[in-house]
Amino acid sequence: MSKQSDYDPSVMKKHMGMQAKTRASNTVIYIVLIIISIIWLAPFVFIVLQSFRVENTHMVGYIVPQQWGFDNYVKLAQTDFFRWYANTFIAAVCTALLQTIIVLCMSYTLSRFRFKMRRGLMKFMLILGLFPGMLTMIILYRVLKDLGMTQANAVPGLILVYIASSGMGYYVSKGFFDTVPKTLDEAARVDGATRAQVLWKIILPMAKPIVIYTVLTAFMGPWGDFIFARYISMNASAGMNVAVGLYSWLTADQINQRFTMFCAGGVLVAIPVTILFMCLQKYYVEGVTGGAVKG
Amino acid sequence: MATVKLTNVVKIYDNNVTAVHDFNLDIADKEFVVFVGPSGCGKSTTLRMIAGLEEISGGTVEIDGEVVNDLQPKDRHIAMVFQNYALYPHMTVYDNMAFPLRIKKMPEDEIYERVTHAAEILGITDYLMRKPRALSGGQRQRVAIGRAMVRDSKVFLMDEPLSNLDAKLRNQMRAEIILLRKRLDTTFIYVTHDQTEAMTLGDRIVIMKDGYIMQVGSPEEVFDRPGNLFVAEFIGAPKMNTIKAKLVRGDGEYHVAACGAVLKVGGEKGQMLRDMNVPTQDIILGVRPEHMVLAPEDDANAIDCTLEVNEMMGSEYHLHVVTDDGNKLIVRIPTITLTHDQRESLVPGVKLKVTCEGKVMHFFDTESEVNILYPCQAPIK
Repeated sequence: MSKQSDYDPSVMKKHMGMQAKTRASNTVIYIVLIIISIIWLAPFVFIVLQSFRVENTHMVGYIVPQQWGFDNYVKLAQTDFFRWYANTFIAAVCTALLQTIIVLCMSYTLSRFRFKMRRGLMKFMLILGLFPGMLTMIILYRVLKDLGMTQANAVPGLILVYIASSGMGYYVSKGFFDTVPKTLDEAARVDGATRAQVLWKIILPMAKPIVIYTVLTAFMGPWGDFIFARYISMNASAGMNVAVGLYSWLTADQINQRFTMFCAGGVLVAIPVTILFMCLQKYYVEGVTGGAVKG
Repeated sequence: MATVKLTNVVKIYDNNVTAVHDFNLDIADKEFVVFVGPSGCGKSTTLRMIAGLEEISGGTVEIDGEVVNDLQPKDRHIAMVFQNYALYPHMTVYDNMAFPLRIKKMPEDEIYERVTHAAEILGITDYLMRKPRALSGGQRQRVAIGRAMVRDSKVFLMDEPLSNLDAKLRNQMRAEIILLRKRLDTTFIYVTHDQTEAMTLGDRIVIMKDGYIMQVGSPEEVFDRPGNLFVAEFIGAPKMNTIKAKLVRGDGEYHVAACGAVLKVGGEKGQMLRDMNVPTQDIILGVRPEHMVLAPEDDANAIDCTLEVNEMMGSEYHLHVVTDDGNKLIVRIPTITLTHDQRESLVPGVKLKVTCEGKVMHFFDTESEVNILYPCQAPIK
């Protein structure tokens, strides 16, 4: 019976009506999405194109360059740009390393150990995290200045600031650790492992996506930071990171000479992060959803 | 190979719930002891205290004469198999089994020897390079046993290792554990809620309820001489029939008045009652379903009842009957003892007479629920 009804003209018509409806709604969805992605991508395309424009260095009213070349990139070497780049890179790598270790240890502890005030501590950190970090800026500056970690020596100071509150970012990885059965820890401990060995040999290899997610987010923070970096380096070029350094080229007296170089710098900043994400995006997505879906 | 001794062991959780009360047990070297009881009776907690996974709130646990209360699990020289296998999912079967040896920094060639040897015994050689998720439940549990086997541990702990397997596989693995035990020849402590596993595996069975030990004994002891009503009902399937009755001391003979019938207590049990000079009293009469028989219609001293449900199990019938005064009983009749006509007549609603001999009766005190002939003090009701 059911076989026959597939060939029933009235049913076929109904099917076609459904198909047409789906196609229409899909078309609308795709148009909206295409518009959104154009809006989204336009600034990036603009910056890339401007970085290859060599006919002049100031802002112009058109997008596609009249003359193409690598001059802007070459000229970057004559400035402090690569110094800023190195500053940012060092800060980001150190932060990524230290913050990852702290976050993972913190999450494992909160997930596995039961101690007095554990819940209190978690609530306290949740509330603390609701305050904007900017509130601490002035006091942080005072402290770092007394330690001699401002202006030209801003990089170690920045690393300190970045990792100081990293224990509070335990939510995602704790969520993942909570889904790993406790009996695995227990089995490993009976098998002769210490708590630390359980974490490094059993839990972390299983938590690869979470580790990568933690590293990436820890790297991204300092890589794109502007406000703290600007505040702590003040006007000392040697202590600036790329965001602060590049921004200093956008002042009224510099912008006409530096604008295309600014764009070239911007492209260079984006490259490592883009590569990182392209390689690790599979894990990143798993990591973001890792707490919710049991692996 | 080691003895295990628990003295006055107590477990009190943070929320002030006492999970184990004053637990005393001596486990001999190479003994197979089974902790059995309904869920929440504290059997797993006790095992985990021996393993070091649970803090001991009071008393001492000794392994091989050494008090281990404050030792980490890794320093107790124990191996443990978990209910959910607890295999490391990112490692191959080989690496799983090699893990405890690698932690000990054993040379790789010796690890190879031990792992392949254990794999051969367990019949998992073909799966050594697979990840646990590519294995079936039975294979996984074999790997978990293998991981525990490769080490020279003093005590082998098993926490409901067969509970996650289907019934058929469970029977098969049960037999394999018996063989494994012979081969390993070490001390075993096995936790289960399944009385069949307890009966078939254990040298001694520890029956627990609400954190108390109800009885410790060999399978024969706990089956034939249950110390109290709880043990009597817990061991044996279907569970023992219990009836409120009266034990009457007559002229040199004892009778039980139950469900409107008077049953004579003859033989050994009658003699014991006489020797102990038990007075006339209200009791709870316990009779196992397989010890009840159908009585002829003209038997005046049998219990009158009505058949409610008739379960044909193949080799036997489980007859669920209701006595005239409302007691529900189960009677197990081997199919082979019934004629064709008798089988045909066993339809719900039919009137039957059932009875039992004195030697299969168990007498429990109505207050303390303790077996009058083989008292084993149950600390709580």
